[in-house]
Amino acid sequence: MTAFETYWKGFIVPENYDQKTESEEAAFADRIAEPLRAPERAHPSFEKRLMERVRMEGAVLYPQPSPGNGSWWRHEWVIRLSARSGIAIAAGIGAIIALSGIAVGSRISARSQGSSPLAQATTVRDTVQLVRFVFVDSGAASVALVGDFNEWTRGATELKRSGAPGVWTVSVALTPGRHEYAFIINGSQWVADPLALRSSDDFGTESSVIRIGTAAQSTT
Amino acid sequence: MTGLSDAELIAAVLAGDIDSFAGLVRRYQDTCTRFAVRMLGSHVDADDALQSAFMRAFRGLRRCNDPDHFGGWLYQIVVNECRTHASRQRHRGLRFPSAPDAIERAVAPGSEEEPDRDVGGHIERALSMLPSDQREAFLLKHVEELTYEEIAAMTGVSVSALKMRVKRACDGLRDLLEGVYRA
Repeated sequence: MTAFETYWKGFIVPENYDQKTESEEAAFADRIAEPLRAPERAHPSFEKRLMERVRMEGAVLYPQPSPGNGSWWRHEWVIRLSARSGIAIAAGIGAIIALSGIAVGSRISARSQGSSPLAQATTVRDTVQLVRFVFVDSGAASVALVGDFNEWTRGATELKRSGAPGVWTVSVALTPGRHEYAFIINGSQWVADPLALRSSDDFGTESSVIRIGTAAQSTT
Repeated sequence: MTGLSDAELIAAVLAGDIDSFAGLVRRYQDTCTRFAVRMLGSHVDADDALQSAFMRAFRGLRRCNDPDHFGGWLYQIVVNECRTHASRQRHRGLRFPSAPDAIERAVAPGSEEEPDRDVGGHIERALSMLPSDQREAFLLKHVEELTYEEIAAMTGVSVSALKMRVKRACDGLRDLLEGVYRA
């Protein structure tokens, strides 16, 4: 009789197995699980390989603040509202987000509604809402949108030139609720709305926040 | 770095200290490896799944709403990633070696081969024959020793359904191994 047979027959195959109690079943499972609980070690190179990938993406995802300059983006980027945003609203496209830099700091909703939401949703309640993101920067070669709705995946949601100089747009279907997002410019520069960041992010990081409500709820 | 809590390490990463993520990797890589190896039956596939899982965790670190319980959040990602890899394995037809054959060759009565005394290996091979949802439930309950409530929160499967999966897993293991070791 092998060691396993001894191990096995001692507890696994009673005649009245079907009538066994819950505790007996638990004991059986525990005996089976015991050898499976033996520790396993990750490959010695696991951490090294992983951290190489982490460092490649980390500089964009979690950039360090510039030393001596508390708000690097204030001087790096001036983002203004596109005139096309107003056209979009008139056309009933849905909510429009204008990412605004401190230097200019204009927001379509604030201007048009006399309030201070980041975005305004005007679509049917309890449905996915089409949100148009507008970004203006004449020097950008590419603009990407990352957020919880695309698992912060670079390249998943690229903005396209709208036709007007320096205006980039993309429309994204968002479910009602709170969403975080940011823009990545030229594949490396992370840009987020500073006000939304400070008011909404648990860690004081750079994400912007949009709340998509129903037709009866203005978004913030 | 090892003295820092999960929440402190996460805060450091989010503040731009990317290398702090290595502290989280060291803390959880072995525990996650055990589950992934048992689930996928291969160290290579487990390594691949965990690389993906840790990267997903890194990318989504802002969405870890309870940084003090990073481990549970990470585990949820690992479980999902292993599901994905298990599905790929099925499509590739490359999962485990033929488990029943391996078990039978090892200990079949009258076999000319030296009896295999690798108890854990036999159980692993039997485990590999279970449907992946049953294997996952059995591992989380009895190997990782989570409560049904914890597993339900992690997997989105109801407690009653999890209990049924675990029971079926136990029945399946018993049937498979009973066939091999019947007197």
